[in-house]
Amino acid sequence: MKKLIFRWETALLAMLVVELAVFGFINPRFLNLTNLIYGTSDFVQIGIVALPLTLVIISGGIDVSFASVIGLAAIVFGVATFYGLPLPLSIAFALVSGALCGLVNATVIHLSKIQPLVVTLGSLYLFKGTATVASGLVGAGGYEGIGNFPESFNAFGYAEFLGLPAPLALFLVLALLLIVLLHFTRFGRAVFLSGQSESAARFAGIPVGRVQTITYVVTGVSAAIAGLVMSAYFGSARVDLGSATLLPAVTAAVLGGASIYGGQGSILGTLIATFVIGYLQQGLQAAGVPSQVSSALSGGLLVVAVALRHGSAMLADFIAVARQQKQNRAAVTSGGE
Amino acid sequence: MLDFLARNRVATLLVVLVLTYVAIGAAAPGYLSGATASVVVSNSLVLMLISLGTMIVILTRNIDVSSGSVLGLSAAVLGLSLDAGVSLPLAIAFCLLTGAAAGAFNGLMVAYLGIPSIVATLGTLGLYRGIMLVLTGGRWIEDLPQNLKALAGNLGFGFSALTVVVLVLMVLVWLGLRKTHFGRYFYAVGDNREAAHHLGVPVKRVQFTAFIVTGICAALAGLVFAAQIGFIPNQAGNGIELKAIAVNVLGGVSLLGGTGSVAGVAAAVIFITSIDSALVFLKIPAYWNDFIAGAILLSVLLLDGRIRQIVDRRIRARRYAVHERSPAPSAETTKTQAVEAGR
Repeated sequence: MKKLIFRWETALLAMLVVELAVFGFINPRFLNLTNLIYGTSDFVQIGIVALPLTLVIISGGIDVSFASVIGLAAIVFGVATFYGLPLPLSIAFALVSGALCGLVNATVIHLSKIQPLVVTLGSLYLFKGTATVASGLVGAGGYEGIGNFPESFNAFGYAEFLGLPAPLALFLVLALLLIVLLHFTRFGRAVFLSGQSESAARFAGIPVGRVQTITYVVTGVSAAIAGLVMSAYFGSARVDLGSATLLPAVTAAVLGGASIYGGQGSILGTLIATFVIGYLQQGLQAAGVPSQVSSALSGGLLVVAVALRHGSAMLADFIAVARQQKQNRAAVTSGGE
Repeated sequence: MLDFLARNRVATLLVVLVLTYVAIGAAAPGYLSGATASVVVSNSLVLMLISLGTMIVILTRNIDVSSGSVLGLSAAVLGLSLDAGVSLPLAIAFCLLTGAAAGAFNGLMVAYLGIPSIVATLGTLGLYRGIMLVLTGGRWIEDLPQNLKALAGNLGFGFSALTVVVLVLMVLVWLGLRKTHFGRYFYAVGDNREAAHHLGVPVKRVQFTAFIVTGICAALAGLVFAAQIGFIPNQAGNGIELKAIAVNVLGGVSLLGGTGSVAGVAAAVIFITSIDSALVFLKIPAYWNDFIAGAILLSVLLLDGRIRQIVDRRIRARRYAVHERSPAPSAETTKTQAVEAGR
């Protein structure tokens, strides 16, 4: 019981409840269940990329290129439909392009042994450039969008599934899959061990390279899914579709308890953190706060959350050390008598 | 040859730069002219300042991704105070103070609260941009006074007052890092934090200072940006922090801290800016820019990583070779020790 209460996820859930209560107090109309559920369509793409990103971070890497992969996959899909390919084939092309992006990241990281942050920063440019070139070649020119998708595709952005909007349902299914993958399979244990100590994992016979490659590929595919969901929701594919997800997605993973040094984190935490961040933005809007202030606040949230976690860890250390010293002193004085 | 390439990043970059110039000059004969050179220099100023600042933080084994937002925030402070009728020197002082304060906040979190720098500065990246938008109310700042724009005016040979300031700053940073005690501390802290601490280096103060210097550099970049462009859009400096990190890697600054030089960063900035201007000259559509920049960066990274691995392997092989040649004395001593212990 005590273990359950002191888990980080519980704290996050409490944070979410407090947040909803505060916004509900400021603007009672905010706490409308339909609003809350359908509002998720505006931020669910953050979660779709933040979940696999958690995997990457746990295994000791980081990926910032997903922001461009979202746009690239959307453009690939747009170009494919532009040339009249059937819908399933276009979607498959988009997903494959996402997987390829992940594969490129992992390959370069492994061949060069350079920090993943730098490599994915480079590919952030490369993928964005590829997307811009692709959209330029079909004459969508620079930053204009590619539209005119089949009706059935656009309908997905507003479809319902078991009473939930389809994007949200997709997000929850993905979360469920990743929870099973990370917390209940041998692969998941390998991900944690690779992040805790790469050499220890290698000596234990874990194929660290392959494990990390899979996490990057999963991130690429999920980013492609996010790109498709966003194009369906907005009705057009644009290069800069994902640029606004970079900061919130990293925030969600870190706020959700993933340690930037690897070896720590949980999918459930990221899932809750996504809602915390998403509803923070929407709640501030509902409370009449200008969107500029809300963007500042979500940056501040990341800082405060991390500071709190570090602060509490440092405090716990401090208390433990003080207690130990007190005991030692007591032992010495009693021994002297 | 490989050793030389791996160790002398500046020389490698200069060779590549000359080759690139020759290739572009062959393709577009008008490119190699004094006019292009002065355009490249003036275009590189903002990136140069941000990259210099970022280098100092990276030297201490931290990273700063908030400098683009610091640029925007301090430029907004400059523009707003000028609009409010403050005199130019005072407004510039405000601008630099803003940068220093923003850097100090980053440094406080990283050095004294122990938050990983990538997380802390990702947070302030959003925070500072938000503060800037709140200050400006989301509007662009236009009608900047003439005396500010005059700073970017040509003094002769394509040099403006700003170019001179940046050159002086580069020399100062170079001297500071190479010739002063405190400058060497940046390298020591980045190379091995524990060892530096045991040697009596004020590790936390060094990291704190690094972030403040970065903030001031970013504020100067904001000043240059405002003077050159003549107005301050909301997105001023957006994404330049990533470019600056790329420049640092290209210029041989190790993200693991402790390695890097002003000359390398300067060469890399000129290289990147030349490529950008060459694309315009070769009449390549602007939408190829990111693709080419990304492709160059990734290939350099890949090459750099491979070369470094090969050099490492050679060094290790040499070390083993030394051990294999002299195994006898160590065996001798252990034997005598064992004998003595047996007695």
